[in-house]
Amino acid sequence: MAEASPLHHLYFAGIDIGSTMTKAVIIDAAGAVIAAIKGPTGAEHRHLANEVMAKALESAGLKLEEIFRIVATGYGRFNVPFADEHITELSCHARGVYHVFPGARTVVDIGGQDAKCLKVREGRLVDFAMNDKCAAGTGRFLELTAQSLGVGLEGLAALSQKATKPVEISNMCTIFAQQEVVMRLSQGERIEDIIAGLHRALAERVAALARRLGVEPEVVLTGGVAKNAGMVQAMRAALGCDLLVPPEPLLTGALGAALLAKEHTERLLAQGKPLEVKARRLEKATFYTGG
Amino acid sequence: MAAKGLLRAEEVYHDPTRRVRELRAKGKKVIGYPCVYVPLELLAALDIVPYRICGEMREPVTEADRVLPASFCPIMRSCLDCSLKGRHDFLDGTITVHASDPQEKTARIWQSYTRLPYFHFIDMPGTTRTEALEYFASQLDGMVTTLETFSGKKLSADRLNKAIEAYNQQRLLVQSLFELTKPSPPLVSGTEIVKVIKAVMSLPVDEGNQLLNEVLEEVKARKEKPQAKRARLLLWGSTTDDAAVMSILESNANVVFAEDCAGYRPYRGKVIVATDEVMALAIHYLLEITCARTFVQSTATPTKKDYQQDLQGRYGYLKSIISDWKIDGVILLLVRYCDPFAFEVPAVKDYFASLGIPATYIEYDYTEGSLAPMRTRVEAFLETIG
Amino acid sequence: MTTGEKKRVINRVKAMYPLRAKVDESYMRSLEAIKAGKPTVWAMLNFCYGDPVLKAMDIEVVYPENYGAALAAAGVAREYLDRADAEGFPTHLCGYSRANFGYAARLMELGGQPPPEAPMGGMPKPLFLLSSVAVCDARYKWFQALGRYLDVPVWTLEAPLPGIREFQLKDCYEEMVRLSTRHLRDFIAFVEKAVGRKMDWDKLDEIANLMMEINRVSHEINELRKAKPCPMHSRDFWSAMPPALFLLGDLKESLQLYKNLYDEVAERVKNGTSAIPEEKYRLVFAELPPWHSLDLFDRLAERGWNFVIESFGYHPPPPVDLSHVSDPIERIARYSLQRMVSNYKDALEKNVVAGVDVYIYLKYVSEWKCDGAFLHPLVSCRSASTHLPHLANILMERLKVPSLIVEGDIVDLRLFNPQDALLRAEPFEEAMEHYRKVRREAGFDW
Repeated sequence: MAEASPLHHLYFAGIDIGSTMTKAVIIDAAGAVIAAIKGPTGAEHRHLANEVMAKALESAGLKLEEIFRIVATGYGRFNVPFADEHITELSCHARGVYHVFPGARTVVDIGGQDAKCLKVREGRLVDFAMNDKCAAGTGRFLELTAQSLGVGLEGLAALSQKATKPVEISNMCTIFAQQEVVMRLSQGERIEDIIAGLHRALAERVAALARRLGVEPEVVLTGGVAKNAGMVQAMRAALGCDLLVPPEPLLTGALGAALLAKEHTERLLAQGKPLEVKARRLEKATFYTGG
Repeated sequence: MAAKGLLRAEEVYHDPTRRVRELRAKGKKVIGYPCVYVPLELLAALDIVPYRICGEMREPVTEADRVLPASFCPIMRSCLDCSLKGRHDFLDGTITVHASDPQEKTARIWQSYTRLPYFHFIDMPGTTRTEALEYFASQLDGMVTTLETFSGKKLSADRLNKAIEAYNQQRLLVQSLFELTKPSPPLVSGTEIVKVIKAVMSLPVDEGNQLLNEVLEEVKARKEKPQAKRARLLLWGSTTDDAAVMSILESNANVVFAEDCAGYRPYRGKVIVATDEVMALAIHYLLEITCARTFVQSTATPTKKDYQQDLQGRYGYLKSIISDWKIDGVILLLVRYCDPFAFEVPAVKDYFASLGIPATYIEYDYTEGSLAPMRTRVEAFLETIG
Repeated sequence: MTTGEKKRVINRVKAMYPLRAKVDESYMRSLEAIKAGKPTVWAMLNFCYGDPVLKAMDIEVVYPENYGAALAAAGVAREYLDRADAEGFPTHLCGYSRANFGYAARLMELGGQPPPEAPMGGMPKPLFLLSSVAVCDARYKWFQALGRYLDVPVWTLEAPLPGIREFQLKDCYEEMVRLSTRHLRDFIAFVEKAVGRKMDWDKLDEIANLMMEINRVSHEINELRKAKPCPMHSRDFWSAMPPALFLLGDLKESLQLYKNLYDEVAERVKNGTSAIPEEKYRLVFAELPPWHSLDLFDRLAERGWNFVIESFGYHPPPPVDLSHVSDPIERIARYSLQRMVSNYKDALEKNVVAGVDVYIYLKYVSEWKCDGAFLHPLVSCRSASTHLPHLANILMERLKVPSLIVEGDIVDLRLFNPQDALLRAEPFEEAMEHYRKVRREAGFDW
């Protein structure tokens, strides 16, 4: 297949600059992933999209010139000087998830800074709903409340599995929820039950967002919290349906970006347009937030 | 010597109070108003310069926190905040309208905490029934009374008719400006229009008209036109008077029609005087301005209602905009807590869906921080419509 | 969340109970009437304006605002809120309206049959919707938006509200009367068409007079509460108000019940009986009470907090002699306007231009001699909240009376935390003590 394609010698990359992590994926002309790298975004790392890309290239054993097209996505997508195009993370997630689960029609993505629900048809984004107004209803909610419990994000899943009766977390505002967590601890509630309560509170909030679009199977959960088994369980309960989780839920955006880069090139080819590799260098990302 | 056309609009947009300050220094009276329901003709006829008070998205709200809760129309909150900070010290007074509860509440608090020489509040009926219209006209009569006392002048029919003519001219000029967005690419961008209209709202009527004439002439003749982008969009909402917001919407699209209070809405139609001038103004302002605050409904019979017919009655005017401006998609853009418009969202979406036009609702909190997520939403919407 | 203990401390006025029972009674009677095929209307609080007309036309009325509170109390609001969310209504909108959209969507999905999970048998499909411009513009937009689900017309009642200074202009009041009278006349014509019957004008006349008389007695009861110690707690006011506020059931019977209530409260004043064991502090409450956490007031009563006056929006218009107005429509119109305009002159004299809803609390605090104000802003009800920060400022500035602000919501019951209020009770008592001294030094008489 790859041999038959005139693209066979070409490679494509997607780079997803999220609020907490930067992800890069390189694929070949057949769409196979040949490198996938994650690195922190963070305040001090956010200029370093180029380093993540360099690592991906190194892992793939490729040079930058061998990448035919690069699509940047994520909230930092405008700031990747070596990208050919930027596409929203919504479309990239839709595309990436479709690659992993071709039956996907609904995607719930809970990121560090926002939560979004996507309606997907054949890998194309057809509608969406987003929450980006406050930390409540995003991964940040768990991160901050976990902090108040002195638990790392990694510890949440295991602890929540030991819950016997999840406590009711009444405040969805992150700041107040933090206070409430402290209050619950002082009332002698078990840490496991509090964590399970937090999972449930977040899951219900995100499920309400998903219902705005209509939840149609198959439903796929992506984003950092999809790695937290306790949260997946809570999300299943809140949506009242089964959930699929990709093996690498953080990478679907970057994967989708790489796939969209490939498809763009295929379209050019189909239109008989010449394929020219753009000269580029791995420069630091230039950040500004004003858009 | 002085800048003209788009350059002048840009200048006034960035320093909107400069001209009215100059005029005031020369002895003119200047009255601020935050809402397009104030009949400016009545001010102009008494030689008073009206100035549209706008919110300032980049200014963090500090003073208004003392007097208003946080979950409240951020635009009115910002207007009041700026006033409390002394930004409106060049005003002789303000006129507010019961166009929405946030404005009504803010009006009363405004009057309580600022000490301008003139203040008037116009009560507005909720419906367009005949008795409501007559009450609205009586409220405008009341405003004339207080304005006459304040200005020491008597309103003459002759001067009022001249003012009506000047503002009708302004309406026509803005309508002509929007004619220039019909071609693809449009001759003038949505972002440029925001600046021009904000400038017009910050100038006396004759200067605003002169500016509009210059802009029309300039954009028709210029070589460097805006580019045709991915889609032609209609903006529907309350007020978008910030060019930064519009340029976010226009980063990958052309906003060719702005159905909002800093766009086409205040300039639709014209005042037609049959006999009584004040009644003519009441009719025009109550019936012609398509703000969601006014209750209108279409019923099949007095006792039976059909949803599709009601939608047609409430939003039918948007249909020809969709076809004449070749609209590909609609952005429903609201600031959070804008109740009158927010209640319309599902219905107006249904209406656009019945025309086969995709629409997306975007809500923002009127801070600069909301611009980056807004851009993602607009782009994702463009990606869904192809 | 509850405050834990359940001990009842407030000395309830016995004559309140039959008035409170009228709510369920008239609801059940209404349900039966509806089952028997009587037309039903969904209405909203309209302040003695549209209600007498519906009453005279013998139409059953249900109030989605009240039903929203019932949904919240029954714990089923969440499902309807989520449904409204899924229908695309922005989540910052009024909680009652969103619960109602979810309900209406369910109702129509079931072919107009009330959903089985709905408390109290649900609200049946209405003949028309009666909304009102009064108090809150979200309300009439809400009923307009119901058109998405209900194929019935909305009548939106006008409610003029000029500025306090502007009201003094020549003809302003008469123009308000003109609007209200003509509007009500048209409304009656509309109702006649909708139900296919003519108005019984004698009946309307009688109902108008009974309505005014009921409200007069209710007003006099509140005047009695100026006594020290206060004989009747806010909880009794809230429990007893619905028959007057919504013209429930038989009006002659209601009038007698309010007279009984008056007698008992007057008796208490004579005997120096207090509504709570020991009245240490007199408080005013604004605006909507936390319906689901009312036992908070028992806990506060244990501390000596007596709530002596409250919720302007629920209070009757002050009495006015309209016997010279022969046309019942005009009498109703003038009476309904009275609620607001009766305060305009005083508000202007006291230079409170921020509106009647602010002025009235200055009046309450100074005439009912309050030591503190308990302010309850609601996250999704801006109308009941917007004036509260200014109110707190002006109470302190003019009367040296402090405010305790505890946030809540109308349907998301989780937002109100009575423990929070209790935790802040002690420091607030210190503040009330302190300002008592400040007031005395400044020459106030309480």
